[in-house]
Order: sequence, then structure tokens, then C-alpha cells
Amino acid sequence: MLFSINEYQREIIVLANDSNTKSQRIKPKEKFNFFHDERVRGIFYQILTVLIIGCFFWYLISNTAHNLELRGMNSGFGFLNVAAGFDPGFKLISYTPGIGTYGRIFLIGILNTLYVSFLAIIACTVLGFFIGILRLSNNWLISKVALTFIEIFRNTPLLIQLIFWYVGVFSILPQIKNSLDLSAGAEVVLLNNRGLYTAWPVPGEQFWITGVAFMVALICVYLLKKWANKHQDKTGKRVAVFLPSLAILLILPGLVFLLTGAPLSWDIPKIEGFNFVGGASLPPAFIALLVALVVYGAAHMAEIVRAGIQSINKGQNDAALAIGLRQNKALRLIIIPQAMPAIIPPMISLWLSTVKNSSLAVAIGYSDIVSLFMQTSLNQAGYAIEIVAMTMGFYMFVSLIISGLLNIYNKKVQLVER
Amino acid sequence: MAFVKKEITPSRPAPLSERSVIGWMHKHLFSSFYNSILTIVTLYIIYITTKGLWVWGIADAVWIAESRRECFDISIDGACWAGVIAWMDNIFYGRYPKDELWRVNVGILLLIVWMLPLWLPRVKGKIFIAITLISFYPFLANYIFLGGESSFFSQFMVSAAIVSFVVIMLNAIIGVIQGQSISTFIATRLGSSLKSEKSQRNLNLALLIIAFIIAFLWQQSWVLGEVPWTKWGGLFLTLVISGIGIATALPGGIILALGRRSKLPVIKVLSTTFIEVFRSVPLITVLFMATTMFPLFLPEGFVLNKLAQVIIAVCLFNAAYMAETVRGGLQTIPKGQYEGAHTIGLGYWGTMGLIVMPQALKNMIPNIVGNFISILKGTTLVSIIGLFDILGMLSSVSRDLSWIGLHKEPLLFGAMIFFILCALMSKYSRHLESKLSTNRKT
Repeated sequence: MLFSINEYQREIIVLANDSNTKSQRIKPKEKFNFFHDERVRGIFYQILTVLIIGCFFWYLISNTAHNLELRGMNSGFGFLNVAAGFDPGFKLISYTPGIGTYGRIFLIGILNTLYVSFLAIIACTVLGFFIGILRLSNNWLISKVALTFIEIFRNTPLLIQLIFWYVGVFSILPQIKNSLDLSAGAEVVLLNNRGLYTAWPVPGEQFWITGVAFMVALICVYLLKKWANKHQDKTGKRVAVFLPSLAILLILPGLVFLLTGAPLSWDIPKIEGFNFVGGASLPPAFIALLVALVVYGAAHMAEIVRAGIQSINKGQNDAALAIGLRQNKALRLIIIPQAMPAIIPPMISLWLSTVKNSSLAVAIGYSDIVSLFMQTSLNQAGYAIEIVAMTMGFYMFVSLIISGLLNIYNKKVQLVER
Repeated sequence: MAFVKKEITPSRPAPLSERSVIGWMHKHLFSSFYNSILTIVTLYIIYITTKGLWVWGIADAVWIAESRRECFDISIDGACWAGVIAWMDNIFYGRYPKDELWRVNVGILLLIVWMLPLWLPRVKGKIFIAITLISFYPFLANYIFLGGESSFFSQFMVSAAIVSFVVIMLNAIIGVIQGQSISTFIATRLGSSLKSEKSQRNLNLALLIIAFIIAFLWQQSWVLGEVPWTKWGGLFLTLVISGIGIATALPGGIILALGRRSKLPVIKVLSTTFIEVFRSVPLITVLFMATTMFPLFLPEGFVLNKLAQVIIAVCLFNAAYMAETVRGGLQTIPKGQYEGAHTIGLGYWGTMGLIVMPQALKNMIPNIVGNFISILKGTTLVSIIGLFDILGMLSSVSRDLSWIGLHKEPLLFGAMIFFILCALMSKYSRHLESKLSTNRKT
């Protein structure tokens, strides 16, 4: 405050000097009191803070160095090239215990975390949107059911839910021989206490032609939609787009697929000995984690969607109904586009917390980065500081990317507004 | 001929579709063909689910049994609540010695009674209640829960806690009956209300000192056996950790948020770094960091127990989250408020403490309580690193030989406890929000 008064005084001096008044004004002395000046105090506090923090860190570092020396612990990142002796369990890239290194374990952990978080984010966003809209349904019963779902899963700890899904649902599934068949008798999707087994497509040599055909179909659909919009702008008549697009998407790749001789076979899981061979499989811990993250995330997402939609003036909905839109179209064309700026920022932070929540995998033994690297590798190899720093660094990197996304979006929304 | 009616036509009741049950159902459940189908299908699903839950959880459930095998003998597909009942003490108190359980109860009861006057509108001096609660209660609770030998400092704080508790209780009683604070009550009773303020203050101070000496002498006769922290557990431990977390998160968050909005670049950078680092990593990594790295940070020979490590980690983590909530509240305060405060001559701390922060915190009540709820829920993570909090106890039930494999029932019970606690907190926050709201929207 003193600072601003001084500024004001200076201005007066300048004014006084400019106007050539004969009566010389006495230049008011700028009182500079060393102990009561805001700038001096500011600098003093900052230096003090730096000193205190610096001493604190110096103390910690010297203690750490001393302790490391005392316990004969090594440091440095050399251990990443050392072979790790344990099997990580679920993995997306190949790994042989005893040959693969800790560096590769780190990579497996990252991929596993990202894999489960990616699937969970997509599923919980879709499911959460759906439940959020149900929550606002005109139907009293549906709205209350959605409310119950949201309240139950938001108000209990994720960890309890996760352990419940794992030990209460996915670990007490039937044995392999009595697997549950989710594909109604076709025996291609099987669920048992070892996990989920599904048939997996094996593309043949000429399968890529079908892929190209699918791409072409997509482009056709895009062009059709564009043409339809233009047509509507010109004539005011809407051409049906949905069914023709579906037809193009199905018929074109389908025809190509059949003409090239159906180059696709299925790898079907079969019992051989005590386990399944073939197909793709996911361990129970993975499914439990995925389900827990999706349900928990969806409950939060539903609440975000509800808040976003309710932030839109009710008049918007009434007006949309008044110009003859049906309720579902009013929601899709009028309400949700306007609610998006209120929904997207909390949604992106929900994605970030889903990535962070996936670290609870350590409680049920899914091999994510915390469980593989921060627990098993740390116990086996030591190097606490390096491992903690690398794991936290990974999460910080992910959070940096996701908040970067958020910033880009916020800028875009602001530009549209102006 | 009079065409003008002399009396007002009595207003007709609302149409039947608006007030009858049938009308309500038509509007809210069967407004269209699809809605009707949806309602019927949902009703059916609800019926199936509730019936299943009822049969499993209550009708076929076993409440009294010695072991899980006995549960199975009585009912093969009902819930076995007997296991939860047998473990009830452990779920609530952990391995706290059975004879000493009253200490935990007394400690928690003291906390509740201490806070009670805050809700009584006639009681004066609520700030005093809150300040003594935060500054003295932890020492009293620490002594009651931990027991054993206590240092002079701890004895001093415990006596202070006793004195302030007694004063608060008297104050509350006088407040409820007479509607005045204890100091004015004493002054009028002793006939010194006409004397100068200074002599009144001296009188109160003298009374306080006498009370303090009595309390100090009295508490020296207390003998409480030591219960080491390793015996703490269950809901009690969860409440201790999350209680400390909640109590430190708000002040810590306020300091960090002010730091982040500070004009001094060094302080701003430091606060921002702290907040962003802790917000971008999961709590479990912070807990692992605390248990693996804190021992390295400390000087040789100084051992910090695991509970302390965990509490420090939880406090740091939650302060960073709270800081962002508080900062969000600060951003809602218009610039005019700062300028107004400057104009009436308030400095930085006056502006923040008297004008800006109260409004910012009030605006953010729902988010702050939401934060408290996530602190409570997040505390369950300490079971991963081997503390026997409520979740640790709930999953230990299935490892008990007589209840081996009993997973679902304890977890459901724990979920219910959390649900009740969280629902109460959010309900209270909504009440507080509407009570403190200055918006004159009816």
C-alpha cells in the first residue's frame, strides 16, 4: 500500500514540474523507510523462504547420502539394465524372467496402466453420460434409480469397491471346466476364475484389402453427410443419412471381404490340460479393476453431466420443444452442445483421476506400474529414490499431457465465445 | 339487471391430473408408451434386485453362528453376518485391548461433546470453542488413546485441554439457560460488572489460573497404561488418520493457495510446484514414498513410526488438493472486495483474513466438504501399506480360521459405514450452505 501512495506522490511531482507555475512547490520527500517498505519486505521474505527451504533440502540430502552410505545401498540408474528375476504376470509386450531387465518391467508397468486406464476412461465416459441423462429423465422411477446408483458408488471408497469386485465377484467364478459361456452356447467368450477368454480374429494375407474398403466406406459416409448438410442448407429438406451410411459401411467392406475369399480365421480358446490355449485372455484382476474404475468413474461422470445440463437455462429446452423438436433432439441439438463447455473440464480431470486411481491395482495384484515397479522391483532391487522418482515422474508426465489437453480446449472455447 | 357478480367465484381445485396419485403417476411414470414400458421393466428389475438382496441379506441370512461352516449348515445361500458380528470390536477398534476400549469411546465422546455447543445458536464465543478444539483436543486425545508416560509439555497441554473443556461446557450451559457468555455471567454474579474491563479480565484470568492448577494436579493422578500405536486399528484408526488429515488440510490448503496467488515470485513458484507435484501423483505412490524414503531422509538413529509417516503423507497430499479448492474460491471473489478492503485501510492479512477468505470459503463449502469426503475415503489406502485400518480389518475377517473365505459380508458392512458417514457429511454441507447463503433467492 505504501508503494501505491508513493506512486501517487510521484505523479503529483511530475504534474507540478510540467505546469510552469512560478510558485515553486516543495518536492515532497519520498519517505523511504527500510523496514517498512513493501518491496524490501517482499525481497526479505523471499530470501528467507529460499534459505529455509534450501537448508531443509540440504539437510534431507545430506541425511539421505549418509544413510545410503551407512546401509551400503547403491544409487544411480544402472539397475535398469539388470535382469529382473520375476514374472510380471499380465503383459502386453514379451518378457522372459531372468533375461528381461528392470527397464522392460518399467515399460510393461506403464503399458498396463495406460491400457486399463484407456479402456476405463472410454467406458466410464459413455456409461456416465448415459446415466447422467437418465438421472434427468422425466420418468421419476428411472431418475431415482440413477440417483441411487450414483450415490452408492460415489459415497463408498473405490478401494472397497475394487476389492469387492475382485474377491466377491471375479474370484468366485466357476472353475475352468464349468466356465460361464457369455456367447450363448457358441463357446467363444468364456468367463471363469482364471479370467475372461475370447476368440481372437487372425487376419489372413489379403485382409488388408477389406481394411482399405472400410476406409473408403468411411470416406463415402463423410462425403454423403457433407452433401446432405449442404442440401439441407439449400432446400431446407433433410435427406435421411443414417440408413444409407449404415448400408455403405456394411455392404462395401462385406463384399470386398467375400470377394477376396474371406481371409479371416478365429483363434478359439480350447481347454488343453488344466488351462485354456488360444484366443485372447484377460486375468480376473484386470477385469475387476476395469469394472471398478468404470463404475466409480461413471457415477462421477453422471454427476458432472447432470450438473452441466442443469446449468443450462430451462428456457432453452422449452424453446426447443416450442419450435417442434422432440425431447431427444432438443437434448442432442440444443442442450448438450451448450452444456459441453461446463462438462468437458471436469470430465478431463475425471480422466486424470481415473489414470491415478488405476494405481489401486496394487491391492489386487494387477501388474500396473505401482505394483510392478514401486512394489516388486523396489523390494527386489532397492534403489528406492530412483524408483519412486521414476514412477512419480510417469504420473506427472501423464497429468501434464492431460492438463495440456484441457488448456487447449479451454482456449478453443474462449475463442468461440468472443 | 345486474351483470356484475357480487361475490367472487370460489376458485376451483387443481385438476385431478395434478393432485391425485393417478395423475402424478400418469405424469411421472406413464407419460408415453415408451415411458410406460421403461417403468414396467425398471420396476421388474428393481423387484428382482431387492428380492435377491432381501433373501440373501436378511431372510436367509445367519446372524448367530460360531464359524462359517456353521453358517453354511444353517443356510447355504444366505449371508453370514455372524462373522461380521464376531469381528465387530475389531472392525471398530482394531486390536485395541478389550479392557481399554472405554478410552477410545471417551475420547470420541469428548470430541463430540466439545463440538456440540457449535450447533447451539444461543451459545456465545464459538470461535473460542473452535480454537481450543484444534489446539488442545489433539493432545488430550493423544494422551487418552496412547497413555503411558507423558512429558511435562504433554501434561501441560492436557491440563489446558481439561480447563478449556470445563469452561466450554459451563459456557454452553449458561448460554442455553441465560443466553450470555460465561465471563459476563461471572461478572454480574460477583457484582463486578460495573467495574472496569481490566479488573474483570484480571478476575477471569485468576479463575482460569486456579482452574488450571487444579486440573494440572488432578491429571497427575491419572494412570493410563500404554497402548502402542501398533494396536490401533479399525474404524478408530481410519478416523484418527482422516481426522488429522481433515484438520490440517484446510489450514495447509489456505496457506498454499495464498502462496500460489502471492505477488512474490519465489513463494508463488514454490507453492505452485508443491501443489502440482502432489496433485499429479496418486496417493498410493505418496504413501509408498513416505514408507520407503522418509527413513532415508531422517538423521541416523531417529526412527519415525509408520503411523507418523502415513499421517505426514496424507496431510501433505490433502493440503495440495485443498489448496486448489481454496484457490477456486478465491477466484470467485471480485476485485472490488480487495479494493474496498484496501480503501478502509486493511493490509494484506487483514484483507485476506477478514474480507476475502470468509467469502471464498463460504462459496466453496460444497467443494471443501467434498474434499473432506475424499480424504475419508482415501484413508482406506493405508491398508495397502500394511496398517490395519477399517479396510485392513474387514479383509482380515476372511483370514480368520473360523471365518475363512468370508469376503462379501464384511466389505458390504464397511461400505455401509462409509456410505453413512459420507452421506451425513454431504447432508450437513448442504444445510450449512443454505444457512450461510446470503443470496436472497427464496
